[in-house]
Amino acid sequence: MLQLNDIHTYYGNIHALKGISLHIDQGEIVTLIGANGAGKSTTLRTISGITPPRRGRVLFEDQEINGIPAHNIVKLGISQSPEGRHIFPNLTVRENLEMGAFTRNDKQGIEEDMERAFNLFPRLRERSSQRGGTLSGGEQQMLAIGRALMARPRMLLLDEPSMGLAPVLVDQIFEIVQNINEQGTTILLVEQNALMALSIAHRGYVLQTGEIVLADSAAALRDNEMVQKAYLGIE
Amino acid sequence: MPKSLKVGIWTFIGSFLFLMFYGFQSVLVAAIGALLIAIFGVLLALPLPDVVKSGLLTGIIGLVFVIAYAVERPAIALLGAMITGVSAALMASYRQHKTDLRAGAIQGALAGAVGGALTAIALFLVWLYIVPAAGVTNIAYAKLLSETIPLGASLGSDVAIIGWLSALTLLISMLLGALMGMARTVEGVRGNLLSYAILGLVVLLIPILDRQTELQLLNAFIPVFVFILLALGLNIVVGYAGLLDLGYAAFFAIGAYTTGMLSSPLHDTHWNFWLVIWIAAAVAACAGVILGAPTLPLRGDYLAIVTLGFGEIVPILFRNLGGGGPNGSLTLKLFGGQLGTADIAGFTVMDQVNLTGGVAGINPIDPPKLPGIVFGPQNQVPWFYLLVAIMMLTLFLINRLRGSRQGRAWTALREDELAADAMGINTVRTKLLAFAMGATFSGFAGAFYGAYVSAIFPTSFDFSVSIIVLCMVILGGLGNMAGVIVGGLLIMGADRLILPQTSNLIRKVVQHQQNTLDLPTYRDITQWRLLLFGMVLVLMMLVRPEGLLPNARRRAELHPDEDTAEQENATLFDAERDPQLAGH
Repeated sequence: MLQLNDIHTYYGNIHALKGISLHIDQGEIVTLIGANGAGKSTTLRTISGITPPRRGRVLFEDQEINGIPAHNIVKLGISQSPEGRHIFPNLTVRENLEMGAFTRNDKQGIEEDMERAFNLFPRLRERSSQRGGTLSGGEQQMLAIGRALMARPRMLLLDEPSMGLAPVLVDQIFEIVQNINEQGTTILLVEQNALMALSIAHRGYVLQTGEIVLADSAAALRDNEMVQKAYLGIE
Repeated sequence: MPKSLKVGIWTFIGSFLFLMFYGFQSVLVAAIGALLIAIFGVLLALPLPDVVKSGLLTGIIGLVFVIAYAVERPAIALLGAMITGVSAALMASYRQHKTDLRAGAIQGALAGAVGGALTAIALFLVWLYIVPAAGVTNIAYAKLLSETIPLGASLGSDVAIIGWLSALTLLISMLLGALMGMARTVEGVRGNLLSYAILGLVVLLIPILDRQTELQLLNAFIPVFVFILLALGLNIVVGYAGLLDLGYAAFFAIGAYTTGMLSSPLHDTHWNFWLVIWIAAAVAACAGVILGAPTLPLRGDYLAIVTLGFGEIVPILFRNLGGGGPNGSLTLKLFGGQLGTADIAGFTVMDQVNLTGGVAGINPIDPPKLPGIVFGPQNQVPWFYLLVAIMMLTLFLINRLRGSRQGRAWTALREDELAADAMGINTVRTKLLAFAMGATFSGFAGAFYGAYVSAIFPTSFDFSVSIIVLCMVILGGLGNMAGVIVGGLLIMGADRLILPQTSNLIRKVVQHQQNTLDLPTYRDITQWRLLLFGMVLVLMMLVRPEGLLPNARRRAELHPDEDTAEQENATLFDAERDPQLAGH
């Protein structure tokens, strides 16, 4: 479904991605794990068009999408829940969700998806008229994911959904991510919490300083000695 | 200590010190001035019922208005009542929103009554104290009253006329207040349109009242409305899209100069105004895009600095394109001060070309032409209606824009640019369109202003114009059109109507009491304008930073009411405390 071929991305002169190649198939949850600064978020930004690659190709359903500006990539069916949530602080929860459907015009479909988001996150329904900025961290994360779903994406990019959340909330968020995937949305998940990510993902890639050092099924990665040592904290 | 008392004491001390140092040798005068300002502050901060508070705040404006004018033009009370009634009801409805038609009418009428009462009281004050103090005899004033007040002649005695006038004042204020209150209960776009219809009705009545009662105020009102038009345009850029623009006067200048260059004897081109106004708006819009394009990655203070520079450059450009300077010299000026003179050979050629009239400006500019209607300096009415028509068009267009997808894109952009991008919003186009739309309305305003004053100079468009317009937007309520209109009325009304007239009045009183013509500077109240302006702004930022008629969103952010605050506080904790609630 999505394929990255030898992607090189730069921030100014900093070579952030040094030839990343990966692929994600329809219906999968694929996770990118790695330490701070390994290039996980940059990979997402490259796909979503916010930081276009300098070399290499991004293919989405066999169409080359590198070079397409970010706002048009959403229309193709890739939607992102950005790192640090970036919800609209002064809009209500409902307005935030509506904003997620900005590219769409089908009123009825939007209403249906709103209902779907509220069913996934009952908490948001309770808070629907409250301003986004006044939600707790967990609720904001839910809102960010719900909002990304409002574009009715075929592929969802999740950037650090567990960041700054209490462990019990992390469990919930991941459960919902799995739910979303079961309803048919392909997911690319970037996580520092490798243990959680590998427990729900089908496959995973390990990034180190802008390069992929390991690629395998999630189960195999969980058993991999290097991964256990470096990312799972198992000696 | 209650907040209102604290605000009162601080504003009193502050104003008193300021007024003392400002040149009020008389401690008493400074104390009275400070007291007035402090009362305004206390009223703003006092926990009075919303209706009373709104009525008092707007009533004070009506009161000042009447005190300034009623010696010469007692019928001003009627005009004051119209404006007070509408704005009191508006303000009350913003403080406490009613959904029931009857409740809205009552709320509006009560607010209007309080405001109207203050205005009416001012009439009596003027009649009892100021008229004798200014040396107007009772007989002369009675004559004035019976001549200018509707039905005044048939009432005879001046007590009866004053009574009738104040009753009328109260009535008009209540009636318009009730109407506005009712309109405000209607939800959505229809409610907005109704509110604008009532505002429009008031505005359309102004020339009729003006002629009937010989107020002769139209020429003072027109610049006020031009500035309101500017504020409405700037509100798109700053209020909707959240892009701080400190050089907005540049677009005003571009609109005016386009008109000047296309329809004046300067180039002997006399294009029709009805065409030129659209060209002016289009040129201004292009300038908006030109300013917008290089500033795309900038936000906040960086953007402000660039726009500030743009606002300085444009008038200087118009001046320097006027030719006629010493051979090839270019004078650099900033904020009116001279930085230096540079000799640049390339400018020799430019000096031969006179595009803009240079320092001397463009004078005269052709007025609009319509069969049967003369747009002239003596005939203000067609100008007034033309301006009202432009404003109506502006309000209509902005209202549509606001509710459209584009309006939502601006909201998203203001809230969080990265997220807006991720939502599929074309942030580049959104930003450029905000600049272009803001500039368009400024272009309209400039075209009208150029034709109206018939003489434009580079100095008419300096930094202070940008700042005053920005203050109107902030004082009235960032992102809310009704607020911006009220803010504009207040600031420009005070500047163009109340201060000059009060100054006249004081001169008159001094002249009568002391038999002298020269007025000490400190008593020339027009010299206080920046002081008062600054004071009001500081006060507003302390007490009501969201503006007089705030956008609901900003109000919620800056002054959450108790219910929302409680609800919001609760969520901050219980999500973590009770995770079962959060997910399932």
